[in-house]
Amino acid sequence: MNTMADRVSGLFFMALGLAMYFWINPNYIETVDGGNISPATLPNIISIILAIAGAFIAIKPTDHQLRNPVLMAKTGLYVTLLTAGIWAMSWFGFEYVAPVLALALMWLIGERRPLWLSLGVVAMPAIIWFLVTQLLGRALP
Amino acid sequence: MKLTTKLMALATSAVMALASPAFAEDWAPDGPLTIQIGFGAGGSTDTMGRVLAEVMKKNTGWNIVVENKPGGGGVAMFTGLSQRPVDNKTIGMGVSIPVLVQLVQRGDQLPFDTDSFDYLGTVAKAELALVASKDAPFDDLEGMIAYAKEQGSLPVATMAPPQVLMMNQTKSTTGADFNLVTADGGAEVMKLILGGQVMAGFGSGEHYPYLESGDMKVIAGANQSRLSYAPDVKTFIESGVNAYVDPIFFLAMRAGTDPAAIEAISSAIDEATKAPEFAKIVQNAVKGDPINMGTDGTKQMMVDGLANAKILFAK
Amino acid sequence: MVEFSTILAGFGDAFSLYNLAFVLFGVVLGQFVGAVPGIGPIMAMAIAIPFTFGLDPLPAIAFLVGVNKGGLVGGAVPAVLMNTPGTPDAAATALDGYPLAKQGKPLKATKMALFSSITGDTFSDIVLITVSAPLAVLALKMGPIEVVALMIFAFSILAGLIGNSLTKGIIAAAFGLLAASVGQDPENFTPRLIFGYWDLFDGLALPSVAIGMLAISEILHRLSEAHGNMRPAIIAKDTGNPDDRRVTWAEYWSCRFTMLRGATIGTILGALPGIGSTAAAFMSYAMTKAGSKDPGSFGKGNIQGIAASESANSAVVGANLIPLLTLGIPGSVGAALIISAFMIHGMQPGPLLFENQGRLVYGLFGAMIMANFVNLWVGQLGLRLWVKVVSAPESIIFSSALLLCFVGVSMATSGLFGVAIMLIFAVIGYLMASFGYSLVIFIIAFFLGPRFEKSIAQSLALTDGDLTQVLKSPVALALLILSVVSVVWFLRKNVHGEDE
Repeated sequence: MNTMADRVSGLFFMALGLAMYFWINPNYIETVDGGNISPATLPNIISIILAIAGAFIAIKPTDHQLRNPVLMAKTGLYVTLLTAGIWAMSWFGFEYVAPVLALALMWLIGERRPLWLSLGVVAMPAIIWFLVTQLLGRALP
Repeated sequence: MKLTTKLMALATSAVMALASPAFAEDWAPDGPLTIQIGFGAGGSTDTMGRVLAEVMKKNTGWNIVVENKPGGGGVAMFTGLSQRPVDNKTIGMGVSIPVLVQLVQRGDQLPFDTDSFDYLGTVAKAELALVASKDAPFDDLEGMIAYAKEQGSLPVATMAPPQVLMMNQTKSTTGADFNLVTADGGAEVMKLILGGQVMAGFGSGEHYPYLESGDMKVIAGANQSRLSYAPDVKTFIESGVNAYVDPIFFLAMRAGTDPAAIEAISSAIDEATKAPEFAKIVQNAVKGDPINMGTDGTKQMMVDGLANAKILFAK
Repeated sequence: MVEFSTILAGFGDAFSLYNLAFVLFGVVLGQFVGAVPGIGPIMAMAIAIPFTFGLDPLPAIAFLVGVNKGGLVGGAVPAVLMNTPGTPDAAATALDGYPLAKQGKPLKATKMALFSSITGDTFSDIVLITVSAPLAVLALKMGPIEVVALMIFAFSILAGLIGNSLTKGIIAAAFGLLAASVGQDPENFTPRLIFGYWDLFDGLALPSVAIGMLAISEILHRLSEAHGNMRPAIIAKDTGNPDDRRVTWAEYWSCRFTMLRGATIGTILGALPGIGSTAAAFMSYAMTKAGSKDPGSFGKGNIQGIAASESANSAVVGANLIPLLTLGIPGSVGAALIISAFMIHGMQPGPLLFENQGRLVYGLFGAMIMANFVNLWVGQLGLRLWVKVVSAPESIIFSSALLLCFVGVSMATSGLFGVAIMLIFAVIGYLMASFGYSLVIFIIAFFLGPRFEKSIAQSLALTDGDLTQVLKSPVALALLILSVVSVVWFLRKNVHGEDE
């Protein structure tokens, strides 16, 4: 029985709960005088619950199995790509980034057929551009 | 009646036809203008903002998008607006008092002040009223205070910090105790009153249908002068509590906006506030006529309002 | 009371070809836009409102009713076909809808969603048209104390959705509540846990969190699996058995009690502002699963699961109009947008609406009835189209869906900041799913959190901090007892389930 996954996640949530309660909540929530419920009350209660439940999982883990690490690594690759896409959009705008991002995504998935590639890289961003800016009169990111 | 309206519309459109090319030449937004409304959909600010946008769109041909950014009586939206880069196309629409009170109360923690914005104009003045169910055993503020003292305390629904401060002022002046229930907006205040959970609450227009149907009555006016639709009802000041609010609906952009943009947009707003279809919506929403103080007038209103709020609402 | 002649005149106004055309246009737009990943039904309404300015009130309202109802049906499409619900209330539909679609029966799954959605919707419409006034009075009696009790009850029902570990369920719920506490606090409006990002003052935007957690995290997982494979996103197998492509009458009829229960739950929660369709869908699902003779078949493509979820979340939308029309109180974001449109067209919801504008109100009811029929008809055609679309290769479906989510969330949250939040929650969602924590429980807690805290604050104000006052409210007391009973019952059921 492999209990690593639950021990790791349990410890994480315990640490998160403790950090929230002792450090983040006191520093990032204002105190007010008067009122019926202080802004920190609920976050503090939740943080304690989180810490206790996390500790419980770490001590008494189930045999939950993690997803295949290779798949998780691949997901990390896609997340990096999307992050780069958002960052690039903030500089150059959707119009220029979307086709490049679509091409990178489709290429990574393994798509090589020119028809599908052109549909995804040229047609789709163009359709979105037309619908959003021309039909709806809204701004693209 | 019908004919005059039509003639009016015709006349306005004629004026517009003459006026619009003038500023269309000077300045036009690159991309859609966005009006961010500091309150949720369905409220009076939202309704007026959407119709204002529509009339402006019709007059100028600009593309105008309306978004709702509720929270903190508009403070969330103005905070966001002050933190945006200057883009010459994002406009905020909100109400003066909640913003001013927040500035007085926690100005050091807010990332903006009255100088963070270029003001475009105002739209209307809101009348704030304290209302109660028709069955409430009191008819005016003095009666309510006496009843609260008799009962030990009295539940009252509020929807924004300024109203909380007004009730706190009432508490400290008279020694009566009130349990203040924070509601999500005027509609929820009405629900709490109708459901009998609170005795009284503040309404900025949501209560009109209930006054008309006889389900509610006005206890006090919360403005400096008496309510236009209930001239017999005393204000807080007249009842011995030295507090009032004069909320004004206004529009502003991030400070540093291109003066040509300010010029063009503010004249488009001015144009729109004169349109009959807009006047009708304002009449529905606040029972008054559209009021536009212009760019300088609006700035002055905010500066004076801040000084006033400091006296009234300083901690 | 409204006179009979006014009612007839109102329906007469509604049933014209002209209005039917606007209903049809609205339904088509709603079904289409509602189904596009990342846009969804609420966005569809927001987009549609400006188009109604130039219209007369009745066609304008007919159009919006069409968009609203079409959006309901459309919202289930990405949930069922791709397991990427665009709104949290469709997440319950995905639980059984997607497994059924994956078995090669995407048409059957989406059609079941369509039929049960329209059934629930029609049920709540009938309640609205016939008994909205007395129901609204009942809703008024639900004060903050009762709402807190009701929410505790809703949370207790969630115990039925917790899988094999109670502790993990609690962690998911607590984490969701923690995310919900970002942004201004409900009583003093102080900025809370925003870390200097004033964009967070209004809280983490629901579209960012919901689409990130539910849709993007799933797409990320599927992307990693798709690597190098060139298969269609969904395969509609031709088994030769026509029953795999349709819902037979026997199947529909076997779900009648499920749909009735779902519609009732949805109507009740819809009449109470602020709880919303997500809670209704999951409560209905959990109750159906718990009451089933074969709970193990849920989550594996049981049509009862689809019927439970869709009948409930659709009933909410009709019932949302009960407090809206009679009291002027919107029960949800979608309802608030409708009220906004009404007011722009000179309709003042509230106690005098039926008296002053009875003809228009019954015109609205007429349009709703038309919209239900049109929805059914357009849905039959539209679903076939969507199944075709999603049969394209995964490469183009996923890349397009991601782009659409970027654009949709950016429109809904005004900017790339919301898109960045979406991606962060996609990663959190992916990790939570990988480590075996329920995303659905997180999302419901996140969704109910702000209202929950606000109601607690209101209750404390009303009772002066004296919680024993709760005992004076029979409704609250009954709900609290029911909560305890349901938690115990669900947990025992879960334990038994593990023994087998």
